[in-house]
Amino acid sequence: MSDDVIGQLLQRLTTSQTQTEAGATLAQAAQGGREPLYNFAFIDEDSKREVRRKLLKGVALPGHLVPFASRDLPIARGWGTGGLQVTLALVEPRDVIKVIDQGDDDSVNAVNLRRLIQKTTGIAFTTDTTRATVLQSRHRIPEERLRADQILVLQVPMADPLRWVEPNIERATEMHAEADYGHMWVYMYESVVRSGDMNIASEYPVIVEKRYMMDTTPIPRYDVGRLHMAEMLTLFGAGREKRVYAVPPYTHIVPLEFEDYPFTTEHDPSKHCDKCGANDTYLTSYFVESPTPEGAGCWTYLCSDTSYCEKRTRVRGQRVTMEAS
Amino acid sequence: METQATAKDWVIEGRNLRKRYGHGCPMCVSLTGPEQGNRCPVCGSITACADINFALTKGEILGIVGESGSGKSTLMQVVNLALPADGGELWYREMGAMEQEQSPVNLLALDKYARRTFRNQRLGIVYQRPELGLNMNFSVGGNVAEKLLLADWRNVGRIRQRTSELMGLTELPTARIDDEPRMFSGGMLQRVQISKALSSNPAVLLLDEVTSGLDLSVQAKVLDLIRRIQWELKMTMLLVSHDLGVIKQLAGRTIVMKSGYIVEQGLTDQILEDPQHPYTQLLVSSAL
Repeated sequence: MSDDVIGQLLQRLTTSQTQTEAGATLAQAAQGGREPLYNFAFIDEDSKREVRRKLLKGVALPGHLVPFASRDLPIARGWGTGGLQVTLALVEPRDVIKVIDQGDDDSVNAVNLRRLIQKTTGIAFTTDTTRATVLQSRHRIPEERLRADQILVLQVPMADPLRWVEPNIERATEMHAEADYGHMWVYMYESVVRSGDMNIASEYPVIVEKRYMMDTTPIPRYDVGRLHMAEMLTLFGAGREKRVYAVPPYTHIVPLEFEDYPFTTEHDPSKHCDKCGANDTYLTSYFVESPTPEGAGCWTYLCSDTSYCEKRTRVRGQRVTMEAS
Repeated sequence: METQATAKDWVIEGRNLRKRYGHGCPMCVSLTGPEQGNRCPVCGSITACADINFALTKGEILGIVGESGSGKSTLMQVVNLALPADGGELWYREMGAMEQEQSPVNLLALDKYARRTFRNQRLGIVYQRPELGLNMNFSVGGNVAEKLLLADWRNVGRIRQRTSELMGLTELPTARIDDEPRMFSGGMLQRVQISKALSSNPAVLLLDEVTSGLDLSVQAKVLDLIRRIQWELKMTMLLVSHDLGVIKQLAGRTIVMKSGYIVEQGLTDQILEDPQHPYTQLLVSSAL
């Protein structure tokens, strides 16, 4: 990782939100949209500072689970409070934010989170991945390649990959400390033996920088490989479990695999998006019923990342128009 | 008292090993002992192991015998690097290729990570209670494979082949490789534990009351198996038991412990035929 990128990230983590509340209020007043009833970004400044400190520790120890005092928010635990706290601790008035859920900008959860951030910060929103400076996501990493000046915040339901094999948190912490991942390897081995392949669809465990085993959250296997040596800073927040962790830019991420059962993604090049025609994206399947009662209906596929799909559709439409003219 | 074996080909050697449960006080040393008991009347601390000296030579079975609470299992856990010792040294000497000895290592001076690695690669342990040594949520094959996976085996086919070999060695039906441990009998579970312990080809095999709780016929089969493994693999073993019959069948040399202290050690036959310490005499006469 280049020093200037690290420097920029550290500067951002240490200096953001250090401005006074009055300053923030003025900045927001200029942009409009923020309800003055709330503190800027809802959480008090001391709590935000604590979250940022924990994030710094997470960046220093990639993949290490860092406990933090998860605050109460006006949304229920399990609905993205971890990611939301990370986002709220980081955002500045000049930020442009994008919130997605399952790759969709307009899902109920994404809209609600966006509305909360908007009401408490008044900052600008976008659905364009390239324009956003902070992206909060659940279940997906956007299709478009993220840059070094962008931060991806992922909501995490279950932070510890060892939870499957060691329910005792104290013991699991010891196992992480000693890099004692034998049980997890046996779990993977059993998975292959019982089902003939790794039957882990999401939350696929990875080894970060040859040290910590990390849960990749409910992102599909398709996105796991895209964390490897990625340019952006990725922050993970688990509100219910009170843990944050991080993958800094240019970090080695290696999924657990066997020589005779290598890690594979769900990608199937024979399937393509019905809307934009892409076959190099993560697709979600929908069953479309037949308009006639006799018809059997069929499965159809659409890009999971809706904004990327729309962008491609627009470009495709323009190309068709140009060709026609 | 005779201190330790002076054999030149020792593999593992304990020097003045001490382990105490509790904070301890200056009076602990003078107020505890084989005769006084291991609980300090001043501070209530329990001296589980006091100045334990032993040496285990390559290919031998060293027996540790004593009543419940005499410190045998604590000593076993210290040797297994699962319990930190309060004092003393535990030296290990690897015999390299061509039987050339390498410089010894004090295992107690290793950091936690190195200890765990050593424990996984060079030590194998079989517990009295299978649930301590096996993960009941994994299959038998998975349990045996754990040490192989820890030793960076990453080929499922090869792992299964090695697991089947080990199960064959311990006379377990290989067709049941994917069954869960709860479907096995007590004697079979001890065999699974032995398979698991042998999977990393350990330098020392630790056996902690392996036949306790088994009926006599199953006990005999497990003992036969251990004897055969020792014979075929020339395995070095440390055997803890309160049963002198087991010690007599397996161990070449024996240490007798009482209240955390070694009261007598020597050749097993010698100890059983001509016990010197009153406590050993009591043990032998009770067994007979």
